[in-house]
Amino acid sequence: MEITKEAVVGTLESSDAMIQIAPCGEIDITISSSVGAQFKEAIEKVIQDTLEEFKIKKAKIVVKDKGALDCVLRARMITAITRSTNEKIEWKQLI
Amino acid sequence: METANIKLRRSMLFVPGSNAAMISNSFIYKPDSVMFDLEDSVALREKDSARMLVSQALQHPFYKDIEKVVRVNALDSDFGVDDLNAVVRSGTDVVRLPKTDSAQDVLDMEKVIEDIEKDCNREVGSTKMLAAVESALGILNAKEIAFSSPRLIGIALGAEDYVKDLKTERSPDGIELLFARSTILHAARAAGIMAFDTVFSDANDEETFLKEAALIKQLGFDGKSLVNPRQIELLHNLYAPTQKEVDFAKKVIEASDEAVQKGSGVVSLNGKMVDAPIIERAQLVLQRAKLSGVREL
Amino acid sequence: MSNYNSYTIRKIELKPQGGNIKNIKKFLEKNDLEISHDILFFITIEKNEDIIACGGISEGGIIKCVAIDKKERGKGLVLKLMTELIYIGYDLGYTELFLYTKPENEKMFKACGFTKIETVPGLVVLMENTQNGLLNYCKKLKENSKNIKGKKIGSIVLNTNPFTLGHQYLIEKSASECDWVHVFIVKEDASYFSYRDRFNLVAEGVKHIKNITLHEGSRYIISRATFPTYFLKDEDVVEKSYLELDLKIFRRFIGPALRITHRFVGSEPFSGVTNQYNEAMKYWLEKDDSNYPKITVEIKERKLLQDIPISASRVRELYFKGDVENIKKLVPKVTYEYLRNRNNNTNKQQWK
Repeated sequence: MEITKEAVVGTLESSDAMIQIAPCGEIDITISSSVGAQFKEAIEKVIQDTLEEFKIKKAKIVVKDKGALDCVLRARMITAITRSTNEKIEWKQLI
Repeated sequence: METANIKLRRSMLFVPGSNAAMISNSFIYKPDSVMFDLEDSVALREKDSARMLVSQALQHPFYKDIEKVVRVNALDSDFGVDDLNAVVRSGTDVVRLPKTDSAQDVLDMEKVIEDIEKDCNREVGSTKMLAAVESALGILNAKEIAFSSPRLIGIALGAEDYVKDLKTERSPDGIELLFARSTILHAARAAGIMAFDTVFSDANDEETFLKEAALIKQLGFDGKSLVNPRQIELLHNLYAPTQKEVDFAKKVIEASDEAVQKGSGVVSLNGKMVDAPIIERAQLVLQRAKLSGVREL
Repeated sequence: MSNYNSYTIRKIELKPQGGNIKNIKKFLEKNDLEISHDILFFITIEKNEDIIACGGISEGGIIKCVAIDKKERGKGLVLKLMTELIYIGYDLGYTELFLYTKPENEKMFKACGFTKIETVPGLVVLMENTQNGLLNYCKKLKENSKNIKGKKIGSIVLNTNPFTLGHQYLIEKSASECDWVHVFIVKEDASYFSYRDRFNLVAEGVKHIKNITLHEGSRYIISRATFPTYFLKDEDVVEKSYLELDLKIFRRFIGPALRITHRFVGSEPFSGVTNQYNEAMKYWLEKDDSNYPKITVEIKERKLLQDIPISASRVRELYFKGDVENIKKLVPKVTYEYLRNRNNNTNKQQWK
């Protein structure tokens, strides 16, 4: 899939994450986490896995994490992708 | 002595589907059912993100041992079909259908659910339904709604919209809801399914909440939708049996077990015959006691 | 439904009609803040119909007038508020936001993902919600100018609304005195002529000068973010703190990235704002500050035409009057052609 426009999803509130996504020439991920730098790796893995799953090769992604669970991060990331591409979700493939 | 495991639904905790924090932690309050909402508590802008959050939460191990209900958007909205796709595939136990006006509403949604179940290889019929009635028309059709599908575990009253439809508003004693509550309860009992009461939204007014809860328990409701986790324990305590009730129920079950052992079809206690509804009631009392202990009077 | 805390979040649009902001004004006053005139939307959070938090977003994607009731602090209201404002930013097309606040609130906004750009101690701090936005911008400047040699490196920041012989003269003169000159064109589309047009005219008009780099403007140089009062119409009063912010960013970040030693500017007989800016420049770019290299400010006398300095405002005045002959003497050929075409396309009546 191709990221065609800028989008934002999520909130800055506790247990959530705000993910901003934009077109870019490469994969560029910036992560900040209020719960500690040691979580950045785990967060990045969720982001990378989701990008791979949707076959996205180019995107700028900024994550502001407030202690979101993996499942919240993944949900936010998928929504960010659907909002920034013009493609509908294929439920059959996703779940 | 073994009691049958009856699924209790005293408390069904509403969780706004767009609220990540509540999605992440509502299981810790141990409501009988958690009810993720994709409908009225979710702003139009967040319909897609809430659906995805709920879909992910449904698959999370945190929610493995708790009954999951999802209130979806109506089929005639832009969101209904996507909601059903997300939640049925993610394994919700129950779909709560909002604003049910007729049996046809239930059948229409059932058809969509069935198609999705087939498409994702879930057992057809495994996704249960709960019909929320929120209008005068729905109340008058309550019987047909209650009988409309074997998937229905119960019907529920949604009072916020209902009182608007009646051109009135809610009062502390709830006189305006009496007809609707009674009708729903009769429809549910006639169809052999459960009946659930509406929410009480002022989380700070415990006294009125308890009065309302006592009323609907007395009317015969199985439980109530809740908007605040603090209401769960209050409600469970209310539904907890007294020691006297527990003692009696135990005796009923003992007598029943004894009769089964003897191969006798008739159960009697203290010389009186005990029939099936009393045994069922005793099982319910013991199940409530098991989960919430015994109520102190 | 399911509102554990009974907050109401409202979005209030101020432009074009102007919403009801009486209560917001009152609330801001209570929190020692004044309402800003270029705000497009306010978000308010109410409890029992009283405002307990508010924040605004202005043209250019700048968040200001953020206040939280003292009794309600520490409950995460600012996170709700900023989430809403960021979403409005996206709706307006501003995905990267700036924020003005009092220095004591810096930490609170850090928790919202904003980072500090520059501070005026005790008065105001400018923040951005892009991680290292300014640093990355400067890194790019540095990278792109690494082959430039020489000791005397000049800089000029111009709005060119539109490009005149005065601007051209200033660039030529500075270039003749320097090894290299960096020219920045103010990027905001708040002037009569669009940024794209202004930029293209300059690009065409300086082709013959070999030792300059013409830079796209940025939000870090005289933009609505660094210098909001510059873009407020009919406002001749420049708040000193804004001048300070804009010039500190230039001295501390942009100057060092390009090894700038001089900044050139035309003398300013007409515009009060520009004049005050030129005065402040001398102070903030030249004053002793061991951490950041000094940038010498040279104010060049304006080029005159019949004893009157050439200025863009004079050109605009003539343009509105339709006085083609006199414009011809004030602007390079490229600007003249542009103005003539533009006018022919928009309103032939004006040219007699």
